[in-house]
Amino acid sequence: MSSARIAILDYGMGNLRSVEKALEHVGATATITHDVGEVRAADGVILPGVGAFPRAMERIRERGLDELIAERRDAGVPILGICLGLQLLFDSTTELGGAEGLGLLAGPVGALDADGLKVPHIGWSPVRWERESRLTEGIETETPFYFVHSFAPDPTVDELLGTAAYGARFACAAERDNVFGVQFHPEKSSAAGLRLLSNFAGVCASVPA
Amino acid sequence: MILYPAIDIRGGQAVRLLQGDYARETVYDADPVEAAKRWADEGAEFLHVVDLDGAKAGSPQNLDSVRRIATEVGCPFQVGGGLRDAESVAALLDAGASRVVIGTAALRDPEFLDAVVARHGERVVVSVDARGGKVSLSGWTEATEQDVAETVKELGGRGVARFLCTEIDVDGTMEGPAVEELRRIAAGTSAQVIASGGVGTLTDLEALAQLGADAPNIEGAIVGRALYERKFTVADGIAALA
Repeated sequence: MSSARIAILDYGMGNLRSVEKALEHVGATATITHDVGEVRAADGVILPGVGAFPRAMERIRERGLDELIAERRDAGVPILGICLGLQLLFDSTTELGGAEGLGLLAGPVGALDADGLKVPHIGWSPVRWERESRLTEGIETETPFYFVHSFAPDPTVDELLGTAAYGARFACAAERDNVFGVQFHPEKSSAAGLRLLSNFAGVCASVPA
Repeated sequence: MILYPAIDIRGGQAVRLLQGDYARETVYDADPVEAAKRWADEGAEFLHVVDLDGAKAGSPQNLDSVRRIATEVGCPFQVGGGLRDAESVAALLDAGASRVVIGTAALRDPEFLDAVVARHGERVVVSVDARGGKVSLSGWTEATEQDVAETVKELGGRGVARFLCTEIDVDGTMEGPAVEELRRIAAGTSAQVIASGGVGTLTDLEALAQLGADAPNIEGAIVGRALYERKFTVADGIAALA
């Protein structure tokens, strides 16, 4: 439906190809890049990521991507963080001694409180939407998404978009203006995940360049 | 890459065969739904279900198990075994399968294949089994002279989005996947390829992950016996494939 051009930020961590494939599947044009010009030319930015928060932030800063992301946010360009990418959008983490995040969403990231269940939490869990959003349009509440994580964010009530339960209930989606983040992997979550990415591409296409 | 735990159903139980031989069967779970739940709880992203009775009979024989996996497990799955007509395909998809896996009939009956691909698109997976690079049919009882990579290339050109490629001689042996053969198959097609057969250790999965770095259309690997014999957990397997 959308021909949005989406930049998948490459900061050297995680498998970005599955995200790229999923975006292409929903009709978006995806580019894996850390080139300033290419990111500036994009209608939307995806911050993916697998691994440890402090190392990821180091790499992002080394490449100057922190400033680029803030610049794009200020320009109104939609941004979607996935998994570690969502966590990086928050203020800080306690992971591995702690680190500062990008601060595009308010709140800290902390270890998942799984009430004795095994961590990392890997597998399908139903996600409850806590509010309406352009990102989740057409996706029923309590639809399962696929997770792989040991940490989770603690957003403000205003920015909380979705929760899931694993031992205890945790925040797994957040939103502020055109900044979105999901703790689960939409690119691994079948039809619902593709719908979410398609919705994001739709938001990107609707924002005037 | 995606780790696909395999659940082979025979006589209502979860079993594993050695090299496809019905006489060399090990029963692992009295109820295949329990196996599906276990793999989902360990973090499986997608399950691979084979109706061995269906493969023998030529039509689905374990629809109840399929329905129960769909309603009780909460993890998407594909099902194969004996699919030879459009009604059976529709019945499995209606029962809750995300995808169907078509084997011999895809090669023998091009009209059937075209019809189900036209109707169900990416929900159709074609399973191509081979021994020494040559395609085998009918539960591996019938050898052909068809080259497996050529076959995959041709069917991919007809719209098949995903293949399941099994190397018979290593299946059920846990002696390692046929990496070079998979590389050759993947190089000839832009469709997705799921590797099947021979995975016994995390090192085998790491070898497939490495192959996947060169051949990005290798999408995942089926793991059977190694999980049932607890050589490693689903979570460890996913990490090794990442």
